[in-house]
Amino acid sequence: MKISVLQHAPSAHLPIRPGDPTPTSRNLDPLMHPFARARERTRALNAAKMERMFAKPFLRALEGHIDAIEVLCRRPGTLNTVASGSWDGGILVHDIAEQKQVHRIQDAHQGKVSGLCFSQDNGLLSCGVDTNIKFWDISPRDEEVQQKPLHIFSGKSPFNSIDHHRSDPIFATASNIVQIWDETKTAAVSNLTFPTATETVTSVRFNLSETSVLGSIGSDRSFTLYDIRSGKAERRVTMQMRSNALAWSPTLPTLVLLASEDHNLYTFDVRQLSNPTQIYKAHVSAVMSCDWSPTGLEFVSGGWDRTVRIWKEGKGTRPEVYHTKRMQRVSSTVFTADARFVISGSDDGNVRIWKAKAHEKLGIITARERAAIEYRESLKERWKYDQEVGKISRARHLSKAVHEAAKLKQTMLEAQRVKEERRRKHTRAGESKPKAERKKVVLAEQS
Amino acid sequence: MDSLISKGNAVKPLNKKRKRGNTETRPAKPPPPSDLTAASISRTTSLPKSLRPTSPPPGQIPKHSHVKDIKLRSHLNRQASNAARAKALLRDAELLLTNDAGTIQVENEMERTWRVGQKEIVEDVGQEAAKGRQEWKLDGGPYRSRYTRNGRHLAIVGKTGHVATFDWQTGTIHTELQLQETCRDITFLQDQSFFAVAQKKYAFIYDRDGVEIHRLKAHIEPTRLEFLPYHWLLVSVGNTGHLKYQDTSTGSLVADHRTKLGACRTMTQNRHNAVIHLGHQNGVVTLWTPNLPHPAVQLLAHLGPVVGLSVDPSTGGRYMASSGADGIVKVWDCRNWKGCVREWTTRGGGAELEWSAKGALAVATGGSVNMYTKPSIQTFFAPKVPPPLYLTHPIPHRPLTSVRFCPFQDILTVGHNAGLSSILVPGSGEANFDSAEADPFENKKARREREVKGLLDKIQPDMIALDPDFVGSLAPPPKLTTAVNDKHDIPFARLPRLERLRIEGKAEETEIDADADEVGGANEEEGVVSTNDKRSVGEREKKRMRGRGKSLKRYLRKQRKNVIDPTAVAIRSKLEKQREEKRIAKERAKGEIEPKKPSALDRFRRP
Repeated sequence: MKISVLQHAPSAHLPIRPGDPTPTSRNLDPLMHPFARARERTRALNAAKMERMFAKPFLRALEGHIDAIEVLCRRPGTLNTVASGSWDGGILVHDIAEQKQVHRIQDAHQGKVSGLCFSQDNGLLSCGVDTNIKFWDISPRDEEVQQKPLHIFSGKSPFNSIDHHRSDPIFATASNIVQIWDETKTAAVSNLTFPTATETVTSVRFNLSETSVLGSIGSDRSFTLYDIRSGKAERRVTMQMRSNALAWSPTLPTLVLLASEDHNLYTFDVRQLSNPTQIYKAHVSAVMSCDWSPTGLEFVSGGWDRTVRIWKEGKGTRPEVYHTKRMQRVSSTVFTADARFVISGSDDGNVRIWKAKAHEKLGIITARERAAIEYRESLKERWKYDQEVGKISRARHLSKAVHEAAKLKQTMLEAQRVKEERRRKHTRAGESKPKAERKKVVLAEQS
Repeated sequence: MDSLISKGNAVKPLNKKRKRGNTETRPAKPPPPSDLTAASISRTTSLPKSLRPTSPPPGQIPKHSHVKDIKLRSHLNRQASNAARAKALLRDAELLLTNDAGTIQVENEMERTWRVGQKEIVEDVGQEAAKGRQEWKLDGGPYRSRYTRNGRHLAIVGKTGHVATFDWQTGTIHTELQLQETCRDITFLQDQSFFAVAQKKYAFIYDRDGVEIHRLKAHIEPTRLEFLPYHWLLVSVGNTGHLKYQDTSTGSLVADHRTKLGACRTMTQNRHNAVIHLGHQNGVVTLWTPNLPHPAVQLLAHLGPVVGLSVDPSTGGRYMASSGADGIVKVWDCRNWKGCVREWTTRGGGAELEWSAKGALAVATGGSVNMYTKPSIQTFFAPKVPPPLYLTHPIPHRPLTSVRFCPFQDILTVGHNAGLSSILVPGSGEANFDSAEADPFENKKARREREVKGLLDKIQPDMIALDPDFVGSLAPPPKLTTAVNDKHDIPFARLPRLERLRIEGKAEETEIDADADEVGGANEEEGVVSTNDKRSVGEREKKRMRGRGKSLKRYLRKQRKNVIDPTAVAIRSKLEKQREEKRIAKERAKGEIEPKKPSALDRFRRP
């Protein structure tokens, strides 16, 4: 009879020399790991709680303007340079990485600075309601001097917006018409306008991929597409409410984002302008600005309701929401080129820097920490349908005013819906059909 | 403008309108452009090594072709292939199991393992392994004992108050106390640094050095103690018949259940679902969870007091053994409490029971400990004869008050009147431990880390249930019905999404299982369906509308749009009934089923 008894050799389980790591052994038999699922859920719950605990998105407020900020502009091709224009007519250029101002141009315009954009080689273009466009040199210099513009382009009516061409030295302005300017010429190269339109154009943006195409929005609740090669307006849609800002998607050339006065944001595909591809609903007041993340997967919007919201493309609800006690109406927002930060300018005259991911840890992260973070992320993803985990990771604190406004809005919409439903119930069957929300947005399409 | 649109089309085409008609006759699609993109970049890009799959994907993966959403479908496919790959890799992980379990191999049929005594085993296995065979002669018995979860440390308690904890492998005594009062049970808490003793009046917690840390005044006259390691709960039951759960991490009393069955002297835990099993004086065995004020299961196991209980850890807590004061030992199937699987009578009355990690059952009665092994004690056998004996060991010091297997060792420790004796039971212990769960060789740092990790992963007491896998599984479908008998007040737009889809006939009711062997069957079935129905959708619709009850069906078709009302439901059920009758009539005509003969009871049938 052969008899053997289980033995563990200590040499296999103890470190060979002092200081060596202790050898580990694994047995993947599920019976050895009771409550594996329940324990994983606990870990997921802890991960969700930790995310909310470490969600501190606000980094820094950059002061310097005397009045409310009207416009923000990121310098293309850099990570850290952002210019801001204010209602007092001043322009500041900030370094985001060092969190300080690099340039200061006081009284650049009479009245507010309504548009800003960078041109090539240290040039900054600004336009104002004083009917002037000014070209500034912002190359770094040592001493502070009173700045003079390099050029002044004068127009006939107050300008509302300016945007520079991606590669060529031309730029477009919006006043009562859209004008194309050459940097080397004093007068506008061409005027673009839709034949029947008599409106004030509030914003104009060049398409990022097809750089001759340009979109504008106007006070007539319109969104218009122009081509500078043909020099014509191509298409125009009129919507229920006017838009306040527009932004072209950096990755999908035909996608355009509109920030509307009716508290919503819309993405339109210009191939089919009859209805938006997605409605983004969460703001409780007019949306004043929007900007895409360079990845094209996210965008940021700032609203009259004093909040900054960060949306996922294609997900129309529950955006990330940032607010502080001191931040007033947000008039402009910008995503940085590394998609990690969001800059907002508001009525209180401060430029604020936020993290795009609220719980992201800044600074050097060790490999073990990185692995732990990734494990936590996948746990949250895996358990997001669990009631408790989902509840914790979805919940966002809102300021009381916004919360109350959202509640009121909800009540009003509910009342409208109920009324509509009752009306339908008491009309002849099939006479009044419900209309999809997306079909309600566009009133008319012209081309 | 045109160039912009063509650029847009290249990146992401606009959704085309769905084509009507038969989809199967359509020619095969050209390969999607995404493959071209992938091919064009594959020459210059590569995944980092850590992200590359470690093995080729296994063959049988469900395709989820019934899911229309491409994004969701690819996500599901990826998940399924990952799961299949992980399953395949699990087989490779057996290479990590390097230790061999102990055995007794017989050389011919006439040899019997139970004839082998401890003396022979000790002689055969060598000096190092023979250290497990020990006799501790102590006064103040009978003794009870308990091992830590990693099997390294042993706590013993004598009836008259002698308490000691020690590392039995190195022989280091952590503490030795003379408590000078009746002590009934002892248990370690999360590791060797704390232990709880059930003393005459209360339960007490001591630290490793024997300093009294807590007096648990809520636990009055406790007789048995258990510790649930993943929930950090100390459970006690006592002469008052109260079952108490104390959270040892927060110190709060989580639950206090009145069993209403008198003093209780038998308790064990199921390590896989943390359910507490109690054996009572009247022969009843009850199963408890902290969140239920009454037992989850209550069964009459014996005719007389229950004295021993144990749950089999080797099958995930599927079997329970119980013994009565009358000497009967029964093995129960915990999935189905209708009668026991096996029962037999032992000599010498009430038996102490313990099931080892590999499924050996130790029964200590009278003056000996008997060991039985797995397949015979867990298979149904009606005659009341003892199962084939594996090993036996006589101990002359009656009574035998406790039997404990040492985790990750082939050692059984029996507590008796004159102290404790450890005997070798080859093949009873789990050979390969997992350092992430319990490590016999862990050092101080690892112990501390495990304690912190254990606290972070603590499971809430209200999650204890008979089925531990209810966490993270799908909730049962809601019983919401849209059509209430009289009124139907919820408008279509307000219904839950699944309900709306169901009304529209778009609900995804199919559920493809991730198991590979079922996939083939499902695909075959689909194939059958598609080949049988050769007519086009329009033609089928046309044919369907012919025949009896045309007006009813037309009414239904009009009604189907977005409302369910009681009339429609009634019509639908009527049509269903008609169809069923037609089918039966058809089969009768074919001669497949015989018509029922008229019976006298037919008059009571509902029309």
